[in-house]
Amino acid sequence: MQDISSILKSVSKPGRYTGGEYGQIIKNKEDIKCRIAFCFPDTYEIGMSNLGVRLLYGALNSVPEVWCERVYAPWTDMEEQMRKYDIPLWALESRDEVNKFDIVAFSLQYELCYTTAINMLDLAKIPILASERGEDAPVILGGGPCAYNAEPVADFFDIFSIGEGEEALVELANLYMSMKTDGTYTKTAFLREASHLKGFYVPSLYNVEYNEDGTIKSFAPKYDDVPSKVEKRIIADLNTSYFPTKPIMPFIEVVHDRIMLETFRGCIRGCRFCQAGMVFRPVREKNAQTLDCQAREIFNNTGYTEISLTSLSISDYSCLSEATDKLLAWTNPNKINLSLPSLRADSFTRELMNKISSIRQSGLTFAPEAGTQRLRDAINKNLYEKDLMNAVRLAFEGGKSQVKLYFMNGLPTETYEDIEGIASLAKRVVDEFYQTPSRPKKPITVTVSVSCFVPKPHTPFQWEPQNTLEELVDKQQFLAEKIVDRKIRYNWHEAKVSRLEAVFSKGDRRLGRAIALAQRKGMRFDAWDEFFDYDKWMHVFDECGINPDFYANRRIDYDEILPWDVIDIGVSKSFMISENKKAHQSITTPNCKEKCSGCGANKLGGDLTWCPKIK
Amino acid sequence: MVSENQVIQVRIKFKKYGSLMYISHLDLAKTMQRIMVRAGIDIWYSEGFNPQPKIVFAVPLPVGVESECEYMDIKLNSFMSLDDIKKRLNDSFPDEMEVLEVYEPEQKLKNVVYIDHEIEIFSPQINQNTALELEKLFSNDIFVSKKTKSGEKEINIKEFIYSFIAREENGKIVINTILCAGSDKNLNPELIIEAIRKNTTIFSGDLLNERYSIVRKEMLKCDMTPFK
Repeated sequence: MQDISSILKSVSKPGRYTGGEYGQIIKNKEDIKCRIAFCFPDTYEIGMSNLGVRLLYGALNSVPEVWCERVYAPWTDMEEQMRKYDIPLWALESRDEVNKFDIVAFSLQYELCYTTAINMLDLAKIPILASERGEDAPVILGGGPCAYNAEPVADFFDIFSIGEGEEALVELANLYMSMKTDGTYTKTAFLREASHLKGFYVPSLYNVEYNEDGTIKSFAPKYDDVPSKVEKRIIADLNTSYFPTKPIMPFIEVVHDRIMLETFRGCIRGCRFCQAGMVFRPVREKNAQTLDCQAREIFNNTGYTEISLTSLSISDYSCLSEATDKLLAWTNPNKINLSLPSLRADSFTRELMNKISSIRQSGLTFAPEAGTQRLRDAINKNLYEKDLMNAVRLAFEGGKSQVKLYFMNGLPTETYEDIEGIASLAKRVVDEFYQTPSRPKKPITVTVSVSCFVPKPHTPFQWEPQNTLEELVDKQQFLAEKIVDRKIRYNWHEAKVSRLEAVFSKGDRRLGRAIALAQRKGMRFDAWDEFFDYDKWMHVFDECGINPDFYANRRIDYDEILPWDVIDIGVSKSFMISENKKAHQSITTPNCKEKCSGCGANKLGGDLTWCPKIK
Repeated sequence: MVSENQVIQVRIKFKKYGSLMYISHLDLAKTMQRIMVRAGIDIWYSEGFNPQPKIVFAVPLPVGVESECEYMDIKLNSFMSLDDIKKRLNDSFPDEMEVLEVYEPEQKLKNVVYIDHEIEIFSPQINQNTALELEKLFSNDIFVSKKTKSGEKEINIKEFIYSFIAREENGKIVINTILCAGSDKNLNPELIIEAIRKNTTIFSGDLLNERYSIVRKEMLKCDMTPFK
């Protein structure tokens, strides 16, 4: 590419745009048959912290004829210069233009990155609409959590990878290379063929018709050979599957600048609001031996002095005790800090506490999610107040004086009594501190952090309406009045952001127009406070004739066709319906370790799970 | 644990160039700590509550400047041959950084008083008189505003310039300039560019066709002999 050194010197954090980090993969272009630009529609600092992207980058580059490179969204100062000097978006490793690649992949982590993703296509000088891209344009691929309902961005993408991608994307690249080699490649033929691969959804191969009331009348494949349901991919055995042990070492500070060690996928709990808890089923664990080997290898390859054990709920990891023993044996002498995020209060033990005390960590975080037992039962949190009190007491005895508690406002069936329950629960945590004789001599702070409930596809709450903006704001103010103790700090999320999330989470293809228009109006980085503009979004919806209430605030019937019904996550609809009904009766469902509830995910297979195997 | 005065002090001379010029001194320092760990160099840690590997750099390299002469000192807990250190570090360095020399130092890092720079400027506005104009410009008092902790300050950069020679070469300007460096008196070479930007028409603001590079060539002691 051209020499842009003067531009780099004129923008903030130029290290975002230059690559050159230790661990980046450079290949000889002559040996390559498939070039993939892996785009993350947010800044370098956020994208570089994403474990999924690290995994896929490594997995794809492990194929000799494939070269996968990284692309992040340029910050607005850089975008301005790129547009001024007509410099198309480039990939960090080769610095070649993204539009010259074979496949341009996007990791779609959250709904508010959609405009940024589309803007990146525009910056790459690739037409944003799939229907307007020619045969020569790269194949635009999407994946990540948002792909479980990718309908709002269906107009922009050629194909989506559904579920875990480390094996699937390699298969897709292989298909691409073989069709290129035997001369059968046209983009149309490739996409049709790819729709036969397990775990790939090609939105242009489906027809959607709507009823007069705006609901979906039919959603069907255009051709017989195209599957009517796309089943998600999973990795059966995490002990033998690929895991990156030589990650790229960023120079500039990124959000998660440490060893991230994946311990298991899925979650035994089945909280009814949680999409991750449903879409990552079944639970599959890595054994302690694998974990320890991978940790040592990454440490030797990186020099990181912090290891974070990642999962959806680390204290549910059945090898946790064995794994932390193995790790601490060498991490402590090497001055490596071990951290365990995502702790559950009811499985927080003295043994675990003692281990964490030996490693520096100032405070602890728990997520009761709701303030009363009734509501915790309704959302199937399966957490009792005595467990929380027991956990905080252990923490106080262990010298901690900071506790962070996560809650949600606007959960289905929530009443003002439940909200008041948040304040009183936090107060009882403060009281517990003063009733702990061996408490530390520091002042206590309890931080209460309250987000707004967003109904998510593929959860038992997918049919539930979100509270209106007014209701959410009123609830936030109500809680602020109920929290009087000055030892309790209260944070809440911007309800307008949650509302927009709800619209896109449960959106359908008709939202594509709004996203395209928003991009044209210069909107991007919606997840950033400084760029989020709710009123502008409402104008965009208005201009496109879209009523956001239809998506966010409508109770959906069980028999309505949902935009994401085309995706099969392995969990049956009948299980979702039964869970939804139980929520309204505040009846809990046991976790997967206690008893199989027959959600259906065991049909997907998977080793080292609690699922009863299908014979 | 080995106490600080028992350890072996080692100096590493390295270069940092290309896209790594955009990496700040603080980011480099953090990167170096990780490099020492992954290179398996048994480096001495500071004592105290939060032990840190002790790495001391000569004059910090500003963002946007490349260097052929960076120095850092480390202390070893256990013996390792100098050649072994060099090999291990080069294996663990990113592509655009290279260890040039590893040795036991005789001079102190704070003996650096000047740094010799080579600056190249590319611009369509350069003509055969430019070099002479620049030399004339920098032979007089020349004021630029410098960002300090307490806001912007006008400084006369002539006081910080020991020598300044400019020539034209294939349409580009090449400047060799020795500037004050170190904790007492220090000039960021970027301010030379700032002065040129302010006092000449070489830079019109076209960021694609107007470029410059700044390279640290050598660190010098107060008697102008090379630092080692």
